[in-house]
Amino acid sequence: MMAESFSPARVLIVDDDGDIRDGLVQVFERAGFCARSAANVPAMEKALAEHGADLIVLDLMMPGEDGLSACRRLAGKGGPPIIMLSALGDDADRIVGLEIGADDYLAKPCNPRELVARARAVLRRGRDASADVSSEARRFAGYRLDVARRELIDPDGVLIALSTGEFRLLRAFVEHPQRVLSREQLLDLAFANDSDVFDRAVDVQVSRLRRKLERPGQSEIIRTVRGEGYLFTPKPSA
Amino acid sequence: MGECRGLPIAAHLGLLLALAFASAFVVVLAIIVWLPPRPPDVIRADQLIDAFAEGYAQADAGAVPDNAAMRWRVSPDAPDYVMPQHGPVRGLRVTLAQKLNLNPDRIRLQADFLRGDMFVFRVRDPERRGDFHREPFGRGRDDDHHDSRETEDSESPLLAPSFNPEAIPVGPGGEPPRFAPPPPGVMLLSGFDVAAQLTDGRWLVMRQGRNWDDFAWFGRAALMAGATLAVLSLLAWWFSRRLAQPIRSFADAVQAVGVDPQSAPVAETGPTELRGAARAVNAMQARLVSLIGDRTKTLATVAHDMRTPLMRMRLAAENVPPEQRDRIVKEIGEVEALVASFIAFARDDPAEEARVRLDLSAMLQSIADDQVEAGRDVRFEGEERLIVTGQPLGLKRLFSNVVDNALKYGGVARVSLRREGAMAAVEVADDGPGVSEAEREAVFEPFVRLTRAESGAGLGLPAARGIARAHGGDVVFADAEKGALVRITLPA
Repeated sequence: MMAESFSPARVLIVDDDGDIRDGLVQVFERAGFCARSAANVPAMEKALAEHGADLIVLDLMMPGEDGLSACRRLAGKGGPPIIMLSALGDDADRIVGLEIGADDYLAKPCNPRELVARARAVLRRGRDASADVSSEARRFAGYRLDVARRELIDPDGVLIALSTGEFRLLRAFVEHPQRVLSREQLLDLAFANDSDVFDRAVDVQVSRLRRKLERPGQSEIIRTVRGEGYLFTPKPSA
Repeated sequence: MGECRGLPIAAHLGLLLALAFASAFVVVLAIIVWLPPRPPDVIRADQLIDAFAEGYAQADAGAVPDNAAMRWRVSPDAPDYVMPQHGPVRGLRVTLAQKLNLNPDRIRLQADFLRGDMFVFRVRDPERRGDFHREPFGRGRDDDHHDSRETEDSESPLLAPSFNPEAIPVGPGGEPPRFAPPPPGVMLLSGFDVAAQLTDGRWLVMRQGRNWDDFAWFGRAALMAGATLAVLSLLAWWFSRRLAQPIRSFADAVQAVGVDPQSAPVAETGPTELRGAARAVNAMQARLVSLIGDRTKTLATVAHDMRTPLMRMRLAAENVPPEQRDRIVKEIGEVEALVASFIAFARDDPAEEARVRLDLSAMLQSIADDQVEAGRDVRFEGEERLIVTGQPLGLKRLFSNVVDNALKYGGVARVSLRREGAMAAVEVADDGPGVSEAEREAVFEPFVRLTRAESGAGLGLPAARGIARAHGGDVVFADAEKGALVRITLPA
């Protein structure tokens, strides 16, 4: 289905529960990944050293070294992207996971197909050299987008809440600024188009996002390029 | 000073009292030593006689005596003096009678300072200022009031033969100094009344009163009181600061612990009692921190132990036929929602999240949009931009809980936002059966569910109200034409 999968992406699943490991390996293999599993952090290190990985699906709570500290260590030395899969599903837990360097965070029990979709999205973002914004805040036109917290702070310092769709769209724009993005590209970048939940018209999301970014006397942030798509005009800075 | 801060409060108070007493004593002593003493209200006998003689002459001529230092009065009857008119008084009468050329019978004298049998001061040693000798008075009985003949030849003790007014020392302004030592043998009088019968039969009365010029003495008394008061207030201010400062910082520290149990422990300083209290608070804080740690650990364990089997089931469901899978997934979703609400309620700590300024309108819009994405009927309308200060995750949970509740019981959620004075009012309406007036408060109790058939733990609304109240607002059910209407108010 994905054009980029010439050789299957290698995913390493780290979870202390055997049934979940086996189930996830099955799910990922069915989706065309090359999946391996590890029961704890030392086994993960060993598997990484022996086989490498393009993506790690990491459980948060494990005996021995837990997922958070492993994630912090891996993110610190520029390891593969990480999706945290955790029994702690609160927004606060998700923010902690994203802030210490996870690329995405899913709470158990999750829809296995959504996990696969997120994995694809993370891999796609990871392959784009310019898009290294995993957990840091980005500034544009006086706004600040905190990726981990999914928060948009406007130039007055007021938090503007974004819906999931708006956040994903804005993140795609911020990661690919000053470039015309077609609807298909946006769908692909922002909504991981194999998930039926997020398969919505891009135009609706763009117009909503525009309304939230609208300020009197401010130049257009998302410009429509007729027949081609949308252009995010500001240049974001870290 | 540093080490005595640790004394009990009683010791501090004792110290204060001792210091207050000592400083008041020192002030009074200093004033007594450094400032001149109160001058006596005295007049020399010869001056008294001269003054009266002059006034008598004027009054006899029909004029009013003009010596303002004395008080004059003319009365038709003889003054009712009770003082025996013999002894030194007799001498004075004789002298006056000679001066006025009157019969001593027509002269009456009265002294204020009649206590027991002493009333006259006589200077004994001119070198020692203010050292007066009291002379006994009234050795005789007061039976010879009017015996003028005997008195006439009595020797006057009032004017020493050697008295010479020129010998009185003169001050720089030419005036006699106020406290010049009187020459030896001169009688000094104070508070003296002299009366003599005028030629028309009436009586002229002259009163030599207190030395009213010398108000300086009252000033001195006021200074004593004032200076003592000033020193004592300074002492009281210093002491209360000393005592209050550790109490104030103690209160601040306890307040900080109440808001954030992870804050620095209370400093164990100040009086003994306060140190004890600080130790107790620190012990309590340590217990609180370990309790919170226990709670966090327990919640994480519960979450892990309940969600791991759910995840296993969810993965297993991938291998069953789609019709069955959907049912299993729905059941898993319900159990998961229950687990999530338990954990969210149990870990609910309003103090944990930082408060920021946020656009309530954008928040409600995004909640509605996410619900619409998931295929539910949620609509939002209202103010374009309404900024409140609050906890983003907490408020999101508040509104999500209320919206979820509306969807669960009413199928739809219509959300509106209005500004009402200083408050932001959010209303969430649904098309369900509504909540009867009797049950409107009960649903905010934890674990109360109106219908057993529905899923959920009955924690959504209690949690929502807890969050709203922590923000200074509230969540209530309001009257609606149909369905339920939840009203959320927050300070804007």
